[in-house]
Amino acid sequence: MTKPKKQTRRTFLKLLGVTGAGLVIGVAVTRDRSSPFPTNELAFEPDAFLQITPDNVVNFFLPHAEMGQGVYTGLTTLIAEELDISPEKIRVHHAKAHAAYGHPEYRMQITGGSTSIKVRFQPLRQAAANARALLLDAAAEQLAAPRSGLTTADGDVVWNGERFPYGGFATTAAFLKLTDDASLKEAAAFRYIGGNTPRLDARAKTTGEAEFGLDVEIPNMHRAVLVRCPVIGGAPKSVNANAARETDGVTDIVTIFNGVAVVATSYWQAKKAADKLDIEWDYPPLKGKSSAEIRSAMEAALEHERGKKIHVEGSGAAALDDTKSIVEATYWAPYLAHAPMEPMNCTVQIEDGKCDVWVGTQVPELARGLAAFHAGIAKRHVTIHQKFLGGGFGRRGMADYVSEAVAIAKESGKPVQLIWSREDDTKNSFYRPASLTKYRAGLDSDGRIESLSVKRVGPNILPHIIDHMVDGILPAAVPDGIVAWLGDRPHSVFKSLAGDPFSVEGLFEDYDIANKEVRHVTQDPGLRASYWRSVGHSFSGFFKESFIDEVAAKAGNDPVDFRLAHLSPDSILRGAIELVADKGAWAAERVPGVFTGFAAHTSFEAGVAQIAEVSIENGNIRVNKVTCAIDCGVVVNPDIVKANVESAIIYGLTAALHGKITLADGQVEQSNFHDYTVIRMADSPQIDVHIVPSSRDPVGVGEPGLPPVAAAVGNAVFAATGQRLRDLPLKLA
Amino acid sequence: MISFTLNGKPVETDAPADTPLLWVVRDYFKLKGSKYGCGLGICGACSMRVDGRSVRTCILPVSAVADRAIMTIEGLGTKSRPHVLQDAWVAHGVPQCGYCQSGQLMSASALLEQNPNPTSEQIDAAMSGNICRCGTYPRIKRAIQDAASQLRVDSGSGDSS
Repeated sequence: MTKPKKQTRRTFLKLLGVTGAGLVIGVAVTRDRSSPFPTNELAFEPDAFLQITPDNVVNFFLPHAEMGQGVYTGLTTLIAEELDISPEKIRVHHAKAHAAYGHPEYRMQITGGSTSIKVRFQPLRQAAANARALLLDAAAEQLAAPRSGLTTADGDVVWNGERFPYGGFATTAAFLKLTDDASLKEAAAFRYIGGNTPRLDARAKTTGEAEFGLDVEIPNMHRAVLVRCPVIGGAPKSVNANAARETDGVTDIVTIFNGVAVVATSYWQAKKAADKLDIEWDYPPLKGKSSAEIRSAMEAALEHERGKKIHVEGSGAAALDDTKSIVEATYWAPYLAHAPMEPMNCTVQIEDGKCDVWVGTQVPELARGLAAFHAGIAKRHVTIHQKFLGGGFGRRGMADYVSEAVAIAKESGKPVQLIWSREDDTKNSFYRPASLTKYRAGLDSDGRIESLSVKRVGPNILPHIIDHMVDGILPAAVPDGIVAWLGDRPHSVFKSLAGDPFSVEGLFEDYDIANKEVRHVTQDPGLRASYWRSVGHSFSGFFKESFIDEVAAKAGNDPVDFRLAHLSPDSILRGAIELVADKGAWAAERVPGVFTGFAAHTSFEAGVAQIAEVSIENGNIRVNKVTCAIDCGVVVNPDIVKANVESAIIYGLTAALHGKITLADGQVEQSNFHDYTVIRMADSPQIDVHIVPSSRDPVGVGEPGLPPVAAAVGNAVFAATGQRLRDLPLKLA
Repeated sequence: MISFTLNGKPVETDAPADTPLLWVVRDYFKLKGSKYGCGLGICGACSMRVDGRSVRTCILPVSAVADRAIMTIEGLGTKSRPHVLQDAWVAHGVPQCGYCQSGQLMSASALLEQNPNPTSEQIDAAMSGNICRCGTYPRIKRAIQDAASQLRVDSGSGDSS
């Protein structure tokens, strides 16, 4: 097993003196003595993940959110492997918010950063192996059999050819001393890992039975629609609710921190009434800003500001002074919304000093903290009931909709389900930040890059994330004034750090170049920003891979050969590049009118390379096919890996060809799928995904397929037309 | 009172006449398989079969379906008695987040009833009203093609390939 020398996201975060979310999340780690699931004193409950009952039910409490990426199946497969039972026989439950499910790296319960399989690969297998060992101990005791004579097979203990279901030993096992070091299977003995277990949630997701947040029903549930300030961050100043109040079905109209909510017995009544509210707003400083001004300000900053030095190798940008042959180019990526299919929603009941929240969230512990804050109830009295997520993509890594729903339930005194409209969702996201980046490369006499300088201008997401989390991670007893004061702190704390790793990740790491210098100029118009599928890589993959292609062309070199020549010997990109060049027949002639483009990018520790095949039809870019290779380490479920990569490619193509959030007078101009266009079936290319065989531990899968695709398409457009498209979304002149 | 049939059963509702069918089915009849996605009839998450056709119900007032036959995902098939498309969806690993899939299946089932042998372009056209942000389109298409050949075999009219 070779470890890549390249900086992974983690080491890069450390380099900058920020342990990512840990900077914030460290505060939240508390002892939680409550039970993570409903206990049964006759059942075997070795840890927070597993419960085996005397009636032979194996319950697995899934510590991560299922949002399409397949952890419901993948993590269950890890349990199945070491417990020795078919994955289909395990009953999977969404875990509630509890410290026991904390992400081993982020130290809080989070689904994000393409890490679920990576960080659970060892611990969940170990948990299951420990449980199996204890079941065998219990069986030996109960059957008065020699331990060495016992084995297991698909959920049964086997002795003398006779099979005994695990459940029969559960109560005995419950009273044995836990073991924590049962030995794990060798990879060669894997039965389920590496196999294509069909998705365990597929059946429920084709019959309508899978329960999403929006599908929750609780007794006496009312529906709420919230009207927010047209400019994000504003608050209501005065409200005339007379007409709304007279609408049929309306029970309450309440003002909360960011808007005015109508509570009614049905959604349609609440929505109709909400349209009748007449609200005057206190606008935030974002009002008045437009996308054109934001871009000119960034262009001016790129031109005039040197920026903060983030990273230097060799003699940095100074090396460019001695270089004769310089290539430079500037790239742009706009703000983006996530637009998951299920708009934000949250169901809340506050009763008898307890608060119950039903929600699909990537951050259950943060959701619990925010609910506690807004309900004015201690965290231990708040229960988060996790549901299937109708898409996450990072949007559900923010829990603003939980804060809103709890505030409305508290003010109205009713059990409520807050439902966002699609318009609410598009106009109140936490956006992928716009970015402007200039590259300069100096070539030596052999046409090799000897120096690289990168300067990125744009907002950082960390201050926005920290702002969002403050209320949720501090004890509810801290007075509002102090919370507000702390909420302002991160900005100044942040200024003393070298930089936000999410702003520059992926811009410079992949290629082995003797001299590098990375600079950053922070320009933030104030539109809230956060994680968006692949985060900084969502723009840096396009920037870096478009630029390397330009340099290769300038050096008169083949795009694949040029990239390979600039990889360090142990780069994890090498295998992916070579595999895709072979499977995608890079060197082969295409039919007339079809042009190819190449891109490769490392993110979330996975190496991905892609070939896009593009044609130009009536002045439009048509992507016919994408061939992709991914090196993501050991694969738990190859078909789900392929599905994730297909998904990331199509999500990335929407951004490459259509995605753009713009502001006018501080307001987001887009509202729904007619003006925030997404790829539909007819525009979806043929996609072939190939997996690089690997024995290194699993790494990211959900996001790494996205970063190269826009560059692969743009590079193919250059091959087709000679035009270098340096702005996203890609549009032919 | 507005009457119609819902998955084969006669029903009636006192919901306000302008309430979209989607919300009547979800909030009054508590069938939650059909989803809200856009409210403009442009994403397809709310698709139901109305007299056989796949219709966007988030913009269809319930008054417009008086005396009509409505089928939702709950009426297409069940875990124990799945529709051939539902089996194909599982076999091809179609659902990711799964939120749009009820609507996708209603459009796909309407297509196959009208055209048991659709071309790739006909599938594109029939499915053009249904968005999937997880990008399951390639798998949806393969599942439809697979189910179509399955149906042709079952009905004895199929190709033998």
